[in-house]
Amino acid sequence: MEVRKTDVLVIGSGGAGVMAAVEAERAGASVVVASKEPLGYGDTRIALGVMSTSPDTAAGDSEEDFVEDMIRGGEYLNDPKLVRALAGDAMDATLTFEGFGHIFSRDAEGVLTRMAVPPGGHRASRAVSSPWLGVSMCHAMRAAVARSRIEVLEETVCSELLMRDGGVVGAAALRMMSGEPAALLAKSTVVAAGGGGTLYYPHTDCMPAVVGDSFGLGLKAGAELVDMEQVQFLPFGITHPPALLGIPCGEPSMAGPFGRLLNNKGEVVLENIMPMTRAQVARVIVEEIQKGGATEHGGLLLDLTPNLDSPDGEFFVMMLKKFAGPFLDGVGKAYGKEASDFKVPWDVLPTAHYNMGGIKSDASCRSRVAGLYACGQAQGGVMGGNRLGSTSLTEIFVFGKRAGRAAAREAAGRTSPDETVAGEAIDRLRSFPGSNGNHRPIELKRRLQTLMWEKVGPLRDGEGLKQALEEIESIRKEARDLRITDFCRCNQEITDAIELPHMIAAAEAIAISALERRESRGAHVRADFPEHDTEKPVQNVLVEMAGDACRTRCMEAGE
Amino acid sequence: MSIHISIRRYDPGKGGEPVWVDYEVPAHERTTVLETLTNIYENQDPTLAFRFGCRFDKCGLCAVEVNGKPRMACYTDVKEGMKIGPLAGMPVVRDLVIDRASFFEALRELELYIPEQGERSEPRVMEQSEAHKKLLSCVECLACNATCPAYDFEKNPLLGPYVVVKLAQLHLDPRNEIDRRKQARDLGLGDCGGCKKCYCIHGINIRKLAVEPLVGDWPGQA
Repeated sequence: MEVRKTDVLVIGSGGAGVMAAVEAERAGASVVVASKEPLGYGDTRIALGVMSTSPDTAAGDSEEDFVEDMIRGGEYLNDPKLVRALAGDAMDATLTFEGFGHIFSRDAEGVLTRMAVPPGGHRASRAVSSPWLGVSMCHAMRAAVARSRIEVLEETVCSELLMRDGGVVGAAALRMMSGEPAALLAKSTVVAAGGGGTLYYPHTDCMPAVVGDSFGLGLKAGAELVDMEQVQFLPFGITHPPALLGIPCGEPSMAGPFGRLLNNKGEVVLENIMPMTRAQVARVIVEEIQKGGATEHGGLLLDLTPNLDSPDGEFFVMMLKKFAGPFLDGVGKAYGKEASDFKVPWDVLPTAHYNMGGIKSDASCRSRVAGLYACGQAQGGVMGGNRLGSTSLTEIFVFGKRAGRAAAREAAGRTSPDETVAGEAIDRLRSFPGSNGNHRPIELKRRLQTLMWEKVGPLRDGEGLKQALEEIESIRKEARDLRITDFCRCNQEITDAIELPHMIAAAEAIAISALERRESRGAHVRADFPEHDTEKPVQNVLVEMAGDACRTRCMEAGE
Repeated sequence: MSIHISIRRYDPGKGGEPVWVDYEVPAHERTTVLETLTNIYENQDPTLAFRFGCRFDKCGLCAVEVNGKPRMACYTDVKEGMKIGPLAGMPVVRDLVIDRASFFEALRELELYIPEQGERSEPRVMEQSEAHKKLLSCVECLACNATCPAYDFEKNPLLGPYVVVKLAQLHLDPRNEIDRRKQARDLGLGDCGGCKKCYCIHGINIRKLAVEPLVGDWPGQA
């Protein structure tokens, strides 16, 4: 068995994980990064590369306005301390990340240039752009890790966090290429393994590794998750052909000033889309589909043609091609060149994009479990019930820095664990190859994903959620009876088997929180409770694991 | 309808030679190679190993060889009789999965990063050329290495178009302080015959944007 001892273990290597690792090392800690994919292949890689930096005070914008926009957009579920941290640290995070080797949009005088049109829900533009998509950011991320002494374990999947005296002391992991287990022993552990968009595959635009590991690992170690029912569906995803189902084609600002949504009868369902939040637009789409307005491909039609006929049409086309151009090739691939030139409507359906919910933690990213930190999509509470466009890249760097620094500082006061804490977890990993049960892990993964889309998707109701919880429970039972081919080297079935319990826990947390929230708020839409609950103060839904199952409690949102 | 394809299967852990295995798979007009690989893994053969990521040509993970040419599996339609193998010239972990670990190590070995920036003040002039931006669109799929006739992983995993693109990215970075042209020459880039066979699936002109700026008027260059 491979054993690594370190001050700080970081799980995940998207923007949050890389920033946490670099900051922890700068603070003097030894650092190991474990990443399921090669380094820098999380959702950051396929982001648009558009990031909110600090508000432009010269243009009349302010930190207070930024905070207010995020909280209003999040429908008052956000933790205000975290939102203020994000707004306050945004410039610092921008400059730190540029120091990795990135260059954001700047003018000839070297001033950061913010985009002309802000993403939906922002009153002012705070967003700077990248030379290319997220992949250009990942060049800088990989470079910054190479520049450090951080030990990198690529293609290493964590099966569970290791515990000692109620605190987290590292993780058990599988080196996927060799199939060998490893004990990663750490004084502080940062979970930065992203969200869970792939719980909705193929109705998602997320990377396949992003299945909810952060949530499963955190729950099992005793952390609380907050507002897990808040799953952001980007309103505009591609509906066909099947290979491209779920691929993103935009957010509300993409509609331009005159874009509109049409149903299968050609009736206008929605206009003036541009200033709306993602949650608001996604809701209109799913409710219209529920009423029978869907096209033969299951979506609505996003008609951008009125923009072309407007006096500002040329400007609109220029802006979109400049900032969303790279995504237009997906539209072109699916629907043809006329579509990517905005001349014919696009068939669109919401697609799972981002988890606002996550591990409840303070502004230093500390969870309630000693030694366990969370940042990026793994952390909950920053975005409330709806994330505004361009803020997730800010989030990963702001909270990556905070998590890395806190994890390093507090590691100094802790002792190294002994490798015996990993014994049982390693045995469990060794038992996978050749398991002779009745269910392939991929079969259960696919059943869970279908269930999540159908019953815990963008439009929910109490009856469906109860059925979902029963079905999740039966999948959990079947997951104890797995059949896995008997070899170790690069065996996808073992990875599936490791991911499955994380997915089940994350799915249950989302479904049970959705059942608990008997109102519609943010991205959570209940057909049986279509409005805000105005009877009582705004509540956060918290979930923890008790034994094998999740249970919820509520607390008043806000300060 | 269904079609027939062959996939090159290989487990170096077991020794022996790679073998082409035939599959009959369901397909419609726009079924992709990636959908087909997924379908085989889910319904026919749980041992098939392949990589994939975003499904829309942005992440660089799913490059394979289709009928001898590098292609992104997610953006390539599957056709009757197709032969699908791993990228040529790369060490295979299993089946279509190549070993990518050395490409992170290359960043360390050749110091493919800018120096620590320390305290900074704003504004800061950092002009970025269109060539630099284009080079930063590299998704690291490694198709370029697979098509370079001179690339030999066993001899030197670093000396290939992928690392040359990385060197050129840094050569054009306003904060770079290392002589990347010297690094390129020391690596042996001066021996590049300029055949232009290094192929970029995503349209980076590697010869013009990466090789030429680095070797320039290097005497050995034709």
